[in-house]
Amino acid sequence: MPSSEYLLEVQGLRQYFASGRGKNRLVVKAVDDISFGVKPAETFGLVGESGCGKTTTGRTIIRLCDPTAGRVFFDGREVSGRMTNDLRKYLTDNIAMIFQDPIESLNPRMTIEEIVGEGLKVRGLKDKAEIRRRVVEMLVKVGLNEEHATRYPHEFSGGQRQRIGIARAVIVKPKMIIADEPVSALDVSIQAQVINLLNDLKEELGLTILFIAHDLSVVKYFSNRIGVMYYGRLVEVAKGDDLYKNPLHPYTRALLSAIPQPNPLTERTRQRVDYVPDRDHDYSTEQPTMVEVEPEHFVLCSPSELLEYRRRIAQNV
Amino acid sequence: MQDRRHVHETRQDDTILRVRDLKVSFRSYGGLVQAVRGISFDLKRGETVAVVGESGSGKSVSIKTIMGILPSNAIIESGEIMYDGKDLTKVSEDDFHEIRGKRIGLIFQDPLSALNPIMKIGKQITEALVLAQKMNPKEARGQALELMNAVGISDAERRFDQYPFQFSGGMRQRIVIAIALAGDPEILICDEPTTALDVTVQARILELINSIKKSRNLSVIFITHDLGVVANMADRVNVMYAGKIVETGTSEEIFFDPAHPYTWALLSSMPDLETKERLLAIPGTPPNMIFPPKGDAFAPRNKNALKIDLEMEPPFFKLSETHYAATWLLHPKAPKVELPEVLKARIARMKGGGELHA
Amino acid sequence: MFGRYDMDEQIRNLPDSYFELVDQDQLADGALPTTPIGFFKDAFLRFKKNKVSMFSFWMIVFIIILSVIAPFFNRYSYVQQHTQLRDMPPRIPVLEKLGIADGTRVLTNRRKANIENPDLFPPASVLEVFNHRVVNGVEVVDAVIDMYSYRNAKDVYFWFGSDYLGRDLFTRLFWGTRMSLLIAFFAVITNIIIGTVYGAISGYYGGTTDMLMMRITEILAGIPYLVVVMLFILLFGTGMFSIIFALTVTGWIGTARLVRAQFYRFKGREYVLAARTLGVPDRTLIFRHILPNSVGPIITRAMIAIPGAIFSESFLAFIGLGLQAPRPSIGILLSDGQKVLLQYPYQTLFPAVLISVLMISFNLFANGLRDSLDPTKRGEE
Repeated sequence: MPSSEYLLEVQGLRQYFASGRGKNRLVVKAVDDISFGVKPAETFGLVGESGCGKTTTGRTIIRLCDPTAGRVFFDGREVSGRMTNDLRKYLTDNIAMIFQDPIESLNPRMTIEEIVGEGLKVRGLKDKAEIRRRVVEMLVKVGLNEEHATRYPHEFSGGQRQRIGIARAVIVKPKMIIADEPVSALDVSIQAQVINLLNDLKEELGLTILFIAHDLSVVKYFSNRIGVMYYGRLVEVAKGDDLYKNPLHPYTRALLSAIPQPNPLTERTRQRVDYVPDRDHDYSTEQPTMVEVEPEHFVLCSPSELLEYRRRIAQNV
Repeated sequence: MQDRRHVHETRQDDTILRVRDLKVSFRSYGGLVQAVRGISFDLKRGETVAVVGESGSGKSVSIKTIMGILPSNAIIESGEIMYDGKDLTKVSEDDFHEIRGKRIGLIFQDPLSALNPIMKIGKQITEALVLAQKMNPKEARGQALELMNAVGISDAERRFDQYPFQFSGGMRQRIVIAIALAGDPEILICDEPTTALDVTVQARILELINSIKKSRNLSVIFITHDLGVVANMADRVNVMYAGKIVETGTSEEIFFDPAHPYTWALLSSMPDLETKERLLAIPGTPPNMIFPPKGDAFAPRNKNALKIDLEMEPPFFKLSETHYAATWLLHPKAPKVELPEVLKARIARMKGGGELHA
Repeated sequence: MFGRYDMDEQIRNLPDSYFELVDQDQLADGALPTTPIGFFKDAFLRFKKNKVSMFSFWMIVFIIILSVIAPFFNRYSYVQQHTQLRDMPPRIPVLEKLGIADGTRVLTNRRKANIENPDLFPPASVLEVFNHRVVNGVEVVDAVIDMYSYRNAKDVYFWFGSDYLGRDLFTRLFWGTRMSLLIAFFAVITNIIIGTVYGAISGYYGGTTDMLMMRITEILAGIPYLVVVMLFILLFGTGMFSIIFALTVTGWIGTARLVRAQFYRFKGREYVLAARTLGVPDRTLIFRHILPNSVGPIITRAMIAIPGAIFSESFLAFIGLGLQAPRPSIGILLSDGQKVLLQYPYQTLFPAVLISVLMISFNLFANGLRDSLDPTKRGEE
């Protein structure tokens, strides 16, 4: 059953992609049994390297792919079951998505007004003037102006395009936004604009955000809680500060140690930790499970590892 | 401010590559795109110079000019690139083969597109060796295996006969580095070599480049937009904006004592692991280089712009022997503008050693 | 060493007023400095730069215009027969004075006596007698004969000559071009429509639907084309409809495959996914989001298919499955012409030149279109 604490709850989600038939059949476990919950008005960051399944998780929740197994609840209603028109409407009304690539995510043959206004049109708004008014209002909110409405996407810079993508997602007034690497394709000076904009909109509209990214600094800055993914598994979930101060899973530690910091003093002495699953875990006799090590801090570990992690937290605090 | 003695000093010591007043434009039907608008810098033997800037700042174009691989619609309008007594802007394509890949190696951003997908990687490395060092194929094979070991490809014998698609992104980048090293170059140019890679892989590749640089006494030009990577790699840093170098200095000077408002903005616009406060975003977008703005190109996005910024291009003002910045804020008559609070706090934190995780 | 300015008094003594902070308050982005340029305008700009394709384009326009108005240039219709004036050589006013297309024919190996017999050859019609020789004791000559005065038709001009029924070939050629072009256009348009819808459905839904639909096309493509055409013509008789139908039976398969590939390419694009997450229905996704982005390859494909269709039509005509007599098409003219190729080569020459020019022009035009519609080259010089 879904917990009332969470707006979005994912239980044992699996997404396998199969290719080939018979002997050549190859199953890729893009997402392999992950569970987490996102509280209302919270930002949950999902971080991991390319191919770890974080994007697939987001796309499965919004049903761009059908899950292989597991259940997803949104606001108490299951959204992972068989697709019906009613469910599709429920999903699209409540969850919107922001995509990574500012060039790819806008249709090159449509004007900005058509792109941003499409969600309104789909929801049955027919009055052209009203659509126009709301599109312009939204454009102003994301720092663009009326003149931009008639232009085509390729005339805009990356940051502007990403803001248009945000306008398209927010204009339909969703309760939740899944932001899939919204800043990683942008220039450094532009990333801050987009992050600030997302922060403002979140405050103003009380949005809940599932923030997917590979850049731990950005995720840490933007999110209340963070889930770390490695090869389809969620290995650690914690509040940002806890994760940063007490990284327990060896992969989280490796990830944290690898982030280059804009500080020449520390960079020159930085020690990197490697993560080698076979060396760092002994799962020959015990299987790892997700355990709450301290309040709101979950780690994927075996019972013996759990003892070790508990000990480490006790030392640190 | 200007210092002419500096020129003589750099000539005497080990300057291996000297770029002076380089201007490169591109023809497009919208007009002439002024990609690089007069940059000058030196590369000394055994040092790493980072060129930092956003896309469109001209950093990639400048190294393409050095490598002689500009597209056909590019025009070198002026300037010189002195290497080994030759001006690379005037070297013909035929003679460039003697330099490119042999004396100057290049590592691209995307390792997959830099490798031939249907050629075994061993063959690709040996081919580079045969071409660059006129080795016979047998010698080349031994040398190639050695190179593969040097760039950290374990089990080189077996992997010698594999194809690029059988390698992960990080491994492919190692192969690209091996190929770049095949000619035994003295300059290595890295064009965002880790942007396409994951953080943990990136860290390993950076370590590799650093160790190769030390063991082979290479001089490295490192193009990137990631300040974290710059801090890790660079001895000196050139910050580029809108086709110009706006600030140049050692790593410490750039990170702890930045003088140009654009550098401030770059440093304070990205969160680090300890940032809590609102980010200081740079408003607006980089200028369209068909119509570069008059005066200081950054002025329209600068909260502390002076009237003269909109009229006249600032010259370089000298802050130390190694540290120059092109901003009117350094003029004696300019009002004192404090560093943004966010940045001040961050620099203090950085100097405090930043209790970083290890 | 770095700047353009020398450190001089001029810079040190800049007026104080220059060093005031500007009050800048702009968080919203300014207007764009560029003027908007649509996809087709951009493509057109690049197409214009391609001289060969531009020339081909005007060539096609010229031939189309000719095919419409040329039959009215003279007083003949394409069915009008002149039984007295069969197989006449070309004769064009003005040019005839230059010795080109002057309505003459060289008769070889004639008895000298016959040539000189005014009852057989009126003296005015024999322009030149040469190559006197004796074969088997008979005096033999070659002669240049003005066919028009020989046939007593001094004021008749068949610009491109006449055929075995004495029909004006000029009129028939451009009538034929018109028919060939019409057949090609209709066939291609039908192909594109069927192929696009079929390919779009197959590509968009993918999976089992796609597999079934593609197997069907493979079966269709596997049936020998000629057999299908013959069956059609047996069923419906010869005529424009049958030919267009024959060209369509398998012609759309290529388009369907192309469109399917385009859909596979675009349906995973982020903007399509974005529209799906907004709840945009399938129909809108197909026609509003994906199809407009694949319109470039489809147009190019259509342009390449036109000369193909013209050629196929000619081929059918050539093997006797063309339009019903007396209607001409380029293929029928060629087929008729090749029967008398050695005696009257011009009857083949004119249609052959025209079909060659037409096909080369369409191909070059399509090449230019493909390059200019290629979105990756957008904005390039």
